[in-house]
Amino acid sequence: MSAVDVPVTGHANDHGDPHVNYLKAKSGIGSWLYTLDHKRIGILYLAMVSLAFLAGGIFALLLRFELFTRGKTIVDAETYNRFFTLHGAIMVFLFIIPSVPAALGNFCLPIMLGAKDVAFPRLNMWSFYIYLIGAGISLYSIINGAVDTGWTFYTPYSASPTKNYVWAMTFGVFVLGFSSILTGLNFLVTTHTMRAPGVTWRRLPLFVWGMYATAIIQVLATPVLAITVLLLGMERVFGLGVFDPRLGGDPVLFQHFFWFYSHPAVYIMIVPGMAIVSEIIATFTRRAIVGYFAIAMSSLSLALLGFLVWGHHMFTAGMSEFSTMLFSALTFLVAIPSGVKVFNWTTTLYKGDVWLTTPMLYALSFIFLFSIGGLTGLFLGSLSVDIHLHDTYYVVAHFHYVMMGGTVMGFIGGLFYWWPKITGKLYNESIAKVGWFLVFVGFNVTFISQFIMGSRGMPRRYYDYLPQFEPFHKASTIGSWILGLGMLIEAYALLSAVFSGKKSPPNPWGSAGYEWNTATPPVLANFVETPVITRGPYDYHLATPEELFDGFPEDAPKK
Amino acid sequence: MNGVMLALDPVSYQLPEAMATSAGPIDWLFGVIFWISAAFFVGIVGAMVFFAWKYRKRPGHKSEPTEHYPILELGWTIAPIPILVLLFHWGFQGYIDLSIPPADAIEIRVKGFQWGWDFEYPNGESDNVLHVPKDRNVKLVMSSTDVLHAFYVPGFRTKRDLVPSMYTSVWFRPTKTGETDLMCAEYCGGRSKDANGDELQPSQFKGHWSMWAKVVVNTPEDFEKYMDGLAPDLKGDPAKLAERGKTIWTKKQCAGCHTIDGSKGSAPTWKGLFGKSHKMADGTDVVADENYVRESILTPNAKIVAGYPSPSLMPSFQGTVKDKDIDAIIAFMKSIKD
Ligand code: HEC
Ligand SMILES: [Cu+2]
Repeated sequence: MSAVDVPVTGHANDHGDPHVNYLKAKSGIGSWLYTLDHKRIGILYLAMVSLAFLAGGIFALLLRFELFTRGKTIVDAETYNRFFTLHGAIMVFLFIIPSVPAALGNFCLPIMLGAKDVAFPRLNMWSFYIYLIGAGISLYSIINGAVDTGWTFYTPYSASPTKNYVWAMTFGVFVLGFSSILTGLNFLVTTHTMRAPGVTWRRLPLFVWGMYATAIIQVLATPVLAITVLLLGMERVFGLGVFDPRLGGDPVLFQHFFWFYSHPAVYIMIVPGMAIVSEIIATFTRRAIVGYFAIAMSSLSLALLGFLVWGHHMFTAGMSEFSTMLFSALTFLVAIPSGVKVFNWTTTLYKGDVWLTTPMLYALSFIFLFSIGGLTGLFLGSLSVDIHLHDTYYVVAHFHYVMMGGTVMGFIGGLFYWWPKITGKLYNESIAKVGWFLVFVGFNVTFISQFIMGSRGMPRRYYDYLPQFEPFHKASTIGSWILGLGMLIEAYALLSAVFSGKKSPPNPWGSAGYEWNTATPPVLANFVETPVITRGPYDYHLATPEELFDGFPEDAPKK
Repeated sequence: MNGVMLALDPVSYQLPEAMATSAGPIDWLFGVIFWISAAFFVGIVGAMVFFAWKYRKRPGHKSEPTEHYPILELGWTIAPIPILVLLFHWGFQGYIDLSIPPADAIEIRVKGFQWGWDFEYPNGESDNVLHVPKDRNVKLVMSSTDVLHAFYVPGFRTKRDLVPSMYTSVWFRPTKTGETDLMCAEYCGGRSKDANGDELQPSQFKGHWSMWAKVVVNTPEDFEKYMDGLAPDLKGDPAKLAERGKTIWTKKQCAGCHTIDGSKGSAPTWKGLFGKSHKMADGTDVVADENYVRESILTPNAKIVAGYPSPSLMPSFQGTVKDKDIDAIIAFMKSIKD
């Protein structure tokens, strides 16, 4: 990087020496709780979403265990119904939606732009606290109100007089949504206004493009939740008939509102996962991603299409034939940008120098699993076939392949990839690879059995099942144990690195990404001097293999 | 050879046995999509694994700079479109065929409730088992008395939501005699505790998953016989009437709450109930006579038995329990008076 003498100023200065490792710049509990540093806020988020993932995962294991045998295995029916509600709500609203943007995005996005922080650091801190408040409200209402409606809260079941807490729950989700609006807004403004000199739109790292597309969805979709909360509230308080047929409302209307938010939310979940995969693949093939522009644009078009396909959750609910047709057609369009990404990633491997580190194994697993998730979407998008598959385990398996096989694999891959950057420590590759293997095998055992039992007619959200489904349920439960074990090993690999890992060199992967072009872990102000960028984030051809690790000739100070 | 073909045919192990004409086009399309997907999957993952191995990192090996492949890029953006258009077209066509019932279809009314089904046949009689004739078009007109449910018969590949305050319908044409399963496919809750909050026996848990019903495909002759059997002439035979009352007790779900052996369930037992004077929640004493029983069935909230929560846990059976069913229930109650 050519050195330009711009003095580092701004808030970072008020909170410690800007040129010291951000983890050491200040200490004490308060330095974390009131921090305005995007990196520390990212870590706070990471801690919370990891807790949420752990909780959601424990519920998942309990559910699978209950289904191991027919009839009662460990818990009664009402408890089971609450467990799957908790599993879904925690995983979707508390874990996946904030996972990549709020944790890894917060940490990496400003560094990748060559910025000192996000545009509104104080708002960033508030978004974290609003997340905590929203999480508190939703968990309180689910647990206290014994909410057993599933994470979709369909009326009129959720409007029964005994279910007073659904409104509170939806309100909690709205508060959570508000926190993601703030994050989204921050990312949009940061990307527009805080890029370092030389970071042009065409040199924007693909991770940033993904975050940018996600931010657009976050800002636009969440207000619909507010309207839903308002309508549910008016119905509760004033008896206005909106969703409850007993009051003259239309129960199907709720499904429209719900999916009008929750379908775009699916893209809030998957686009960031894709964004991470693009970074990992470029680094470990030593090659610019094929079709950089196409990948960036496909993120934006997924964000846009995400708003137009909510009706595909309701093909059996009694919509008009015309709307059904429209939603099916639009749904098929989603296949195009998704396919473009997968094809581009795969061709990037061609003539690359493929280094199979743990993050790379996760990125390749993403391609494998997301392809299955996407292709099974073709069955569900075809109207007549969907009639048979809707609300069966086939759908459950499909969205787990997309959400878990996609986003979660991307997230874990991203954690391993940026772990040295975040903590300054190296994790143990062998342990992490064993964990990866168990996760990959366990995941497939768990969910392939669900595909088959689903297409054979096993409906979802069942406490008990007919004898013909027993072998599939057994296999799926055993798979969940393998998967759980793999996750534990990965958690161990990450945590043990923090405490006893070797110190990481500044650029352990020899990546050309901008975020590796500063100290590891970064200094409080991210860069000692404002960087001036003269090359793209994937310009591997400008350096020899050795220079990749030691610093690009391009970036060396010009005398 | 045949065995291999069978194993290769995704429909043979991924879908349940087809029992209606509606399955034909759906299974065909399922197979088509399966093979298209399999081809893409093998192509993508095959290329991925091959490249990862061929261009693996090793001493002296270097990556080559990325080139632009405009033709390739355009190709894989455009090539899937015709496939997608075809899939959409086939799916939509199948869907339309499934949604327009032929004019000559036999109409059966379906009521879904928490947690069971009621089927009313053209002769006005009803049952909790769905019998349908083979090789005849059958149309179901469905509604729900409480929350959303969905009618799902995997063997017929039909599914449709039941929505309160709205009628929805499905139709099908069974092709094979025999039995198959009907399940609810829209989550509708569950209960594993009684009115006092005490845990029930696992066998008494009820909910979404227990909305299972048997579907029996009969020959048209057997179907007629079955319908006639639902409406036996019982006039003047109290023993047979009581027998029928007992059948209704199980078929209309009364048995889910009311016992007939004097034991305590989530509702008052029927043993020794008829003719007895007992206390209501408002303190009055009421004799359980014919009118009281009738009122209890049609408007459970009119009088609530002392010690039970209000509003009553019992749903109204207005419309699903007919007058002559009530006669039979009363005859049955009389037979277990003491
Ligand atoms: C969901 C549980 C439930 C179902 C199903 C149910 N009941 Fe009830 N029933 C109750 C409860 C609880 C009471 C007592 C409270 C009340 O008076 O409404 C009751 C009361 C009654 C009474 C008055 C009993 C008395 O001691 O005075 C009659 C008669 C009766 N039910 C008939 C029926 C019949 C006939 C059916 C089936 C067609 C049926 N019930 C189905 C729960 C149920
Ligand atoms: Cu149901």
